[in-house]
Amino acid sequence: MAAQSRGQWGAAGAGLAVLILLLAFLVIPVAKVVYVAFVDVNTGGFTLLNFVDFFRTSLFRESFVNSLYVAGMSVVFASIISMPLAYFTTRFNFAGAALIQTLGVIPLIMPPFVGAVAMQMLFGANGSVNLLLDEWFGFTIPFMEGLNGVILVESIHYFPFILINLSASLNNIDRAMEESAQNLGAHGFRLFRRIVFPLAMPGFAAGAALVFLKVFDDLGTPLLLNVNNMLAPQAYLRISSIGITDPMGYVISVILVAFSLLSLWTSYLATRGRDYASVQKGGGGLMRRDLRPWEKVGAWALILFILALVLSPHFGLLLLSFGTIWSFSVLPDGFTLAHYREVFSTALPYITNTLLYAGLAALFDVIVATAIAYVVWRTDLPGRKVLDYLGTAAVAVPGVVLGIGYLRTFHDLNVPIVGKPLASWWVIIVIALMIRRLPYALRACTAALQQVSVSLEEAAQNLGAGRFDTVRRIVVPLMAGGIAAGFVTSFATAAVELSATIMLVSAESDAPLSYGIYVYMQTAAGRGPGAALGVLAVIIVGIATWMSHRFVERTRATAEADRKLAAAAGA
Amino acid sequence: MNDRSQRILIENLHLSFGDTHVLKGIDLEIAPGEFFAFLGPSGSGKSTLLRAIAGFGPLPEGRILIGDEDVTRQPPWARNVGMVFQSYALWPHMTVWKNVAFGLEERRVPKAEITPRVERALDMVGLLELADRRPSQLSGGQQQRVALARTIVVEPRVLLLDEPLSNLDANLRIQMRRELRSLQRKLGITTIFVTHDQEEANTTSDRMAVLDQGVIQQVGTPMELYDNPTNLFVAGFLGSANRLPGRIVTEGAGRVFRAENDIVIPVAADEPEGEATAIFRPQNVHLKAQGEKTDESTICLPGRIAHSEFLGSLIRYGVDLAGTEILVDEPHQAGQPVLPEGADVTACLSADQVRILRE
Amino acid sequence: MKRAIRKTACLAAGLAVLLMSGVSARAMEDSLVIVTSFPKDLTSVFKKAFEAKHPGVKVEMLKKKTTAGVKYIQETASNNTSDLFWASAPDAFEVLKGDGLLQKYQVKAKGIPAKIGAFPINDPDGYYKGFAASGYGFMWNTRYMKAKKLPVPKEWDDLTKPVYFGHVGMSAPSRSGTTHLTVETVLQGDGWKKGWALWKGIGGNLKTVTERSFGVPSGVNSGEFGIGIVIDFFGFSSKATGYPVDFRYPSVTALVPANIAIVKNAPHPKNAAAFIEFLLSADGQKLLLDPKIQRLPVRPDLYDGPAKHLPNPFKGEVAAKVKFDVKKSKARYNLVNSLFDVMITYRLDDLKAATKAIHEAAAALAKKPNPEAAKLLDEARALVAAVPIDEAKSMDAQFAAIFKKKRKKATDKVTGRQAEVEQKWDEMVRANYAKAKELAMKAAAMAK
Ligand SMILES: Nc1ncnc2c1ncn2[C@@H]1O[C@H](COP(=O)(O)OP(=O)(O)O)[C@@H](O)[C@H]1O
Ligand SMILES: [Mg+2]
Repeated sequence: MAAQSRGQWGAAGAGLAVLILLLAFLVIPVAKVVYVAFVDVNTGGFTLLNFVDFFRTSLFRESFVNSLYVAGMSVVFASIISMPLAYFTTRFNFAGAALIQTLGVIPLIMPPFVGAVAMQMLFGANGSVNLLLDEWFGFTIPFMEGLNGVILVESIHYFPFILINLSASLNNIDRAMEESAQNLGAHGFRLFRRIVFPLAMPGFAAGAALVFLKVFDDLGTPLLLNVNNMLAPQAYLRISSIGITDPMGYVISVILVAFSLLSLWTSYLATRGRDYASVQKGGGGLMRRDLRPWEKVGAWALILFILALVLSPHFGLLLLSFGTIWSFSVLPDGFTLAHYREVFSTALPYITNTLLYAGLAALFDVIVATAIAYVVWRTDLPGRKVLDYLGTAAVAVPGVVLGIGYLRTFHDLNVPIVGKPLASWWVIIVIALMIRRLPYALRACTAALQQVSVSLEEAAQNLGAGRFDTVRRIVVPLMAGGIAAGFVTSFATAAVELSATIMLVSAESDAPLSYGIYVYMQTAAGRGPGAALGVLAVIIVGIATWMSHRFVERTRATAEADRKLAAAAGA
Repeated sequence: MNDRSQRILIENLHLSFGDTHVLKGIDLEIAPGEFFAFLGPSGSGKSTLLRAIAGFGPLPEGRILIGDEDVTRQPPWARNVGMVFQSYALWPHMTVWKNVAFGLEERRVPKAEITPRVERALDMVGLLELADRRPSQLSGGQQQRVALARTIVVEPRVLLLDEPLSNLDANLRIQMRRELRSLQRKLGITTIFVTHDQEEANTTSDRMAVLDQGVIQQVGTPMELYDNPTNLFVAGFLGSANRLPGRIVTEGAGRVFRAENDIVIPVAADEPEGEATAIFRPQNVHLKAQGEKTDESTICLPGRIAHSEFLGSLIRYGVDLAGTEILVDEPHQAGQPVLPEGADVTACLSADQVRILRE
Repeated sequence: MKRAIRKTACLAAGLAVLLMSGVSARAMEDSLVIVTSFPKDLTSVFKKAFEAKHPGVKVEMLKKKTTAGVKYIQETASNNTSDLFWASAPDAFEVLKGDGLLQKYQVKAKGIPAKIGAFPINDPDGYYKGFAASGYGFMWNTRYMKAKKLPVPKEWDDLTKPVYFGHVGMSAPSRSGTTHLTVETVLQGDGWKKGWALWKGIGGNLKTVTERSFGVPSGVNSGEFGIGIVIDFFGFSSKATGYPVDFRYPSVTALVPANIAIVKNAPHPKNAAAFIEFLLSADGQKLLLDPKIQRLPVRPDLYDGPAKHLPNPFKGEVAAKVKFDVKKSKARYNLVNSLFDVMITYRLDDLKAATKAIHEAAAALAKKPNPEAAKLLDEARALVAAVPIDEAKSMDAQFAAIFKKKRKKATDKVTGRQAEVEQKWDEMVRANYAKAKELAMKAAAMAK
């Protein structure tokens, strides 16, 4: 067998371990939930009747159409938001481009519940904006009503997925691609539409697919805007309600998973068959030009408008956290530090738990992701692609489904020593976060590995390093930038995750930040402290992001130098 | 040359990337229909100059004229100059046909006219059958031809080629440069060809400019530049050259060049005195057996073989002349033995093959 | 070498963190795990006081929505880790009791009467105990009412008036145990038909149906909508926090005890019992008067002392006319939830459209009476009010079983599927609303 002869036993072992992990914590729990969808409630046997019921029920059909509509429109709006940000910051000499890119990522770290309340306070029917509009002009705009409200909030929340991927793609386009088009007479919007955008398609498609499936699966936003006629809320309401153990909630879950996989698949198809490798060059292909003064004014106005829009929830959050009472008024009645005092005196365990859980989850994510990337791209083990597919497919599993799956699967499994079921041990939260965020880390690590030339590994092996030593001493250090990027994305998004954790928290002392916010937000007096906790979450994640961003930049600089050195040595 | 050919005039062009001054006062005139080469080492500013003509990069100081039109401040898309990029920059999301049609579409050429023009251009580079392929399905040479077709189909005023052959293997490179040259003749279009390979420049261009550190060192036909380099850089960059540092001094009635180790070369009487460098090509030195007869103008000096290299058509010897090592190329014939290291020889050089340069 | 040392240190630190957070808080013996739907403001006060009284016992509060809490205890029953279930809705306790998931307990504390209003404070079967009384009513945002010039509603009926169109918020009974109680209370107080007509009337005036019960006070506090249908302590505590809000009981309300029960196979039964005793003691009861809690204690003596400012339910200061029938509520629990969702939550837009048309027609008719149009309008109102099933059917155990899919035994037979039934209801409801809107518009046109 090829594997043994080439000394792949170690890789095979790692691959097998990852496979077992994914089977145990992804496939089996999800299958347990999915299974219910195929069970006849009356006989207990296998049936497709539940799916027939689904499509026969007008409410579900309507929810289905609504979810597709909202997800589709969110992609459109998220693209409208991201494209100018990505294009201006990658194509023009723009003071503060890095700042814009960083600020652009912050919406992803929106703490649950408080974020929506903050949006309501600003954009709600009687929020600041509408109160002012009413006072000045005598009319109001229903920003937050119905499906359009969901689209607004979702686009603002998830557009960074497109921004990040599109910017990366734009940065990697060989500048000659655009210059040759300009040379042939194309410029302005035509240049963007005919050349730049198609070339950035892989990044855009990846980002758009993520936005689509995230919105399609998202539960929190529709629930908080009290929009029920969408699939994810329907699934959640049916599954979590007392007694209503009818299979419809599970049928909807299956449909959610299926559609999420479909959107991933579509994004894959959209970029298949075009060899983009030839487009990409190693470093950042910079083609930045200076803006003329009036262009600069226009660009800044547009960018500031977008930033103001996308950062408004955070602004509202800040106001909530410092405000005393904020009710039916443009601004809070007064300002106070009391909420922060309260949070610092009682909520520290939430913060330490979050750092621990999100940190461990992100750590395991990059380890598992590196292992998967290595097995898939550097070995010829049979079936290795399965790991990649499974690791990526985790993104298509809604948090509720995973949470319920864990309760079902691990409740009767007692952990030795600790003496309690795995499903109510805090470690299960880490595992859930790890599985949910694995796709992000996997993407980053795969990209990083693909940029490490195989010849560098061969050189190490040629000098007598074994496979393990090669990975440890050559591959991993060279991947450091990508690994750090994967760690940050996993960490930042895990730190504010709620949907799976809320089902798995079995003791308050085990609870993470997002759960703490949820608890605060159930009481009249808790809104301020909840917001303060939310602000802390954003700051913590922001700092972590910034630190690893710096780390990435540093390692990228040295890696670049290393690569040049290696290239020179090779020549 | 055809009547649409345009000259290119560059006047006192300066260009900086931030604080890095890259082009320093370029003055150049390229005649209509001329095949002109920019030659120079990597980093000398060739691409920057070429791109400035196409309108890319920072806004330069000075002027660039195409024909009689000052294009210095025109954006790239308004200049109608054709540029072929080193990486070809074929768009992977378009077929060969679409790539070639792009420029015509951007110029709002009527549909009915596009088809025959694209056909003609593809036919000219011999790729009509591959029109429906994507760039990734083509070989390097084919990609190069598509890039060329894409550029010439719009009938640009001038054609700019940035190291167009550097991504091809050696044989293809020679074939392609001939094709390029004949295509250019056929079209009669003013062409600038950037290369760091002197052979490429020599074989294709009518005239060329040698660049170093953002300054044009010398302009002329390939042979002029080779035979009469005006500075050490040009001399050294175009082929191998032996250089002897020394001084011009008056000796008797005339002037001579006296090298540091007392090698003496007669020079013209009007050469001013002072420090100078004597330059001569290795193939102009001949090794003679000791005592062989030589004529007046030939300078012969005793030396010793320090090392030798077999280069196929010739053998390159390092000869030690009283402490100074020079290179000597001897043509190689089958069966002829290589002189052993340490062998005593006489190196002879005709004085008219020596150039005296001052810096 | 240096590197190796650093690495080991890192590893050790990491392990220490792991172990500490894994083990520290979870001392095996002296802890108490409470699954509760109560907000942190309430639970933290009791946690602190109880821990002070029983040093060494660590109380874990597990916050879940009532429905999710029930679900959690059901799902984890095979390997139970919870000691107490602590929530408002008595019917949630009934569900758990019915599933055999609660433990009987005899309270030792004295001085608590058997009934509060018409309602027995403790479960007659001895499974769960009432510790505080709660009544339902509405809270409103005073700034909102002033800005929109709305009168303060006094009775449930008031909320159906055109003036409140789009200004009311409530939660759905399927999401919120307290809302379920409210809905069921009205259904029992006014009767099935009239009760549903009332809810449809209010439903038509709703701005939104919130997903959580706290969504209602939250919305009123923010000023998102003016009036919310809430349980009393939400109103009291919001007011105590400083929001410009107020609360009132309508006359048809039930004073229902909020409850606590020991979960079957509780890992810490002794601590659980101690907690119940503490909760019902005079000290524990006084904690209910904390400004952020504001619940009605079940010890009558407190109303002469520290609870003077609260309405005394033992002296009829809360007009609780309805005698709440827990058995009835339990029998049709899921059915009522489902009906409410089908008729109101999921068809809110249709219902609102019909209601708006009716309001407009009524206004037009008031100006220019027209008996024929009035007949059409009554027809429209009847269509909106229509319920797919009558009360008898709602109490039909066989029918209700469709909504309770947990078959006890494999041999249990259930005929019909919930999705099927709901789809039929939905068709009828939607058609009715559309027809009602049409009729009302016709009536309005006639009155022009
Ligand atoms: N975008 C840029 N920013 C800064 N310096 C540049 C840039 N492009 C080229 N240079 C510098 O300008 C000089 C000339 O570059 P170039 O014209 O590409 O040289 P050549 O084509 O002759 O190899 C080099 O020193 C290079 O480092
Ligand atoms: Mg170059």
